[in-house]
Amino acid sequence: MAKVLMKGCEAVAEAAVRAGCRFFAGYPITPQNEIPEYMSSRMPEVDGVFVQGESEVASINMVYGASAAGVRSMTSSSGPGISLKSEGISYLSSTKLPALIVNVSRGGPGLGSIQPAQSDYYQMTKALGHGGFRLMCFAPATLQEAVDLVYHSFDYAERDRNPVIVLLDGCLGAIMEQVELPEMVEPDTKRTKAWNMSRYADEPRKGKGLSPVYPEFVLEKENMARGQLLKSWEENDVQVEELFLDDAEYVIVAYGISARVAKEAMLKLREEGFKVGMIRPITLLPFPKKSLRNLDYNRVKGIIDVELAIPAQMHDDIALEVMERAPIYEYGRSGGMLFNDEEAYDAIKKIITGGAQ
Amino acid sequence: MAKVYSRPQSLLPVPSGFCPGCLHSMAIKLVGEVVDELGQLDNTMHIVPVGCSTLNLLYWKGDNLGSAHGRAPAVATGFKRVCPERLVFAYQGDGDLASIGLAEIIAAANRGENFTVIFANNSTYGMTGGQMAPTTLVGQKATTCKMGRDPQTTGFPMKMCELISTLDAPAFVARYALNNPKNINEARKGIKKAFEYQMAGKGFTFIELLINCPTNWGMSPLQTLDFMESNTIPYFKPGVYKDKEAEV
Amino acid sequence: MKKSTVFSGSGGQGIMSAGIMLAQAASEVGKSVTYLPEYGPEQRGGSAKCTVIINDEEIISPLIKKCDNLICMNEQSYKKFCGQLKEGGLLILNSNRVTSEVERTDVKVISLAVDDIAVELGNTKVANIIMLGALAGATGIITPDELAESIKRKFASKKQAIVDLNLKALEKGLEAAKAVL
Repeated sequence: MAKVLMKGCEAVAEAAVRAGCRFFAGYPITPQNEIPEYMSSRMPEVDGVFVQGESEVASINMVYGASAAGVRSMTSSSGPGISLKSEGISYLSSTKLPALIVNVSRGGPGLGSIQPAQSDYYQMTKALGHGGFRLMCFAPATLQEAVDLVYHSFDYAERDRNPVIVLLDGCLGAIMEQVELPEMVEPDTKRTKAWNMSRYADEPRKGKGLSPVYPEFVLEKENMARGQLLKSWEENDVQVEELFLDDAEYVIVAYGISARVAKEAMLKLREEGFKVGMIRPITLLPFPKKSLRNLDYNRVKGIIDVELAIPAQMHDDIALEVMERAPIYEYGRSGGMLFNDEEAYDAIKKIITGGAQ
Repeated sequence: MAKVYSRPQSLLPVPSGFCPGCLHSMAIKLVGEVVDELGQLDNTMHIVPVGCSTLNLLYWKGDNLGSAHGRAPAVATGFKRVCPERLVFAYQGDGDLASIGLAEIIAAANRGENFTVIFANNSTYGMTGGQMAPTTLVGQKATTCKMGRDPQTTGFPMKMCELISTLDAPAFVARYALNNPKNINEARKGIKKAFEYQMAGKGFTFIELLINCPTNWGMSPLQTLDFMESNTIPYFKPGVYKDKEAEV
Repeated sequence: MKKSTVFSGSGGQGIMSAGIMLAQAASEVGKSVTYLPEYGPEQRGGSAKCTVIINDEEIISPLIKKCDNLICMNEQSYKKFCGQLKEGGLLILNSNRVTSEVERTDVKVISLAVDDIAVELGNTKVANIIMLGALAGATGIITPDELAESIKRKFASKKQAIVDLNLKALEKGLEAAKAVL
């Protein structure tokens, strides 16, 4: 299929539609407005439903209602709005309802800034809401990768009966790049899925209930299952790009837009003879622990964590695997300030030539 | 001998877990009777809120979907939009609907979502132990206003029917008291009308039911009925606040 | 060859749409493209900037420190971004609005009174298209025909007169660039 030039937010929305998403509810917030705008006209074309919720709180709960009816459902927002959606996300996980949540992240905390940032790492991977649940979190670095990850996200969500996060930074939301769009998946109009509360399924549904409240002995079992799920993600679902790890003396760890800028710097440094490699997590949860754990620390002299977050957040996940076998350096900007190819090159070179701590 | 009364088929044959004398039992029973009468049990989806009315989960025989505190109208919106053929009702208490869920109820009403909200108003937060509710009457005591509700600092009780009936979209908005058999019969008719409107696709319908809370009001069930007659009903006046059909 | 172009000016000057047209044109002929906009929170009148990178191979970083071509539609953007132009790069200025003298001697400069030219053509909105024409004429990162196709697609839903006006603006830009170089 021919490649088309698309804006990030619109490409993500179209990928979701092609994955069979037929319900979208959202609320305006920069820099993700093009997703609800696109969906408002696209959903009616495919017999889907678009609702502009009165708030992020309402929007995520609308997704909850639609997902309970067996329809692939989605919402999107940015940091401040994701905070408001936290309640609903916890309920989705509690009732084991699949959904896609896209975060096009911006500078924080608070209202922060509308410029791109990666400061929602903790929120996305550790604490999306109360009660100790976790969601798979995908962090694409190119639009093509974003399209492909969004396209498959519903499969993961339905397999695990758990919502899925796709985390874009504001750069990827706004950028235009060429993408190859996947084939349209026909939605499950019979809504045969197990959680289906609608009456279309063959099995009679009378008296079926779905509730976010559990007797404590059941809840504990549910949480044990969540623990098993987390383990199985780590075993089976890690996605990571590894570059030059067979000779690297310094290993950059970066995701999303940071990884692209850092990769440009890495290639330039390698041309100059510096043995630099890269680990780019594509899944932030499950985090590619083994990539970091199994590095040859007799050779690796340092890990360089590159993020658009100060203080660095992914640092903690890296440190757990490095286990003090090599120093971890940090480079990044924050609050909506970005770094470019040459700045990243200078900073990384300074680290590997011993000029920085 | 003719059987003149039986448990609605829409409720499970289990004893009520509501406190003795609590009119929540009456409210959900009325809904069940109407659903029976309309033959809609298989087609009904009950959106369950947070509060004492969460207990409906244990009695409602048809489909039910639990929701977060105050968010039932948003959940109902999502469900009904993708299953427009279902008869959907959210059953919400006063803390759920008139405090934490105020945005959701007003916005759903304003969009004219084609489902029914049953609003059980007992002027208190029952399940959490009797704190002041948005509908607690002026001077009425609660665990967070031990000297009685003071409008100087806590404002006045929220009149939801009056608020919602100012909107253009809602099709039917009415308030009933469940304090005596006559009023209960009126309420049953109102619930039926709301459901019929929904089934005809006429839009948002809202039924407020004034009920009691013997436990947290600190009264015997009979005393609560007297209290309703002399205090609750004069403030929250029963009646039809909006009926789109009647306007035509 | 990787070539980067920064379009800068204020909101309402067609900065973003010029960038998108260039990106579209390059994409249509099979080049790799990234278009990255940057703007303030204002809906109108704030600063506007976008970066278009065109390459034969995959583009790795869309965030770059230095660009090959810089288009400045007003004084503020000239002052802010002039330093980001590579040595030997091309600077295209709207001389109706950029009042400073160009101090850099290590870059090629095309100074065009695009606002005046646009007024002569009958519509101030085509100033950005004149700039695009000048860029194509001076750099060859895109051919005039490829740009013309992109313009036709963009204005496909508009009246023929609008398409013709924009094509004329493109032509004017090309001529102006040739005259200067």
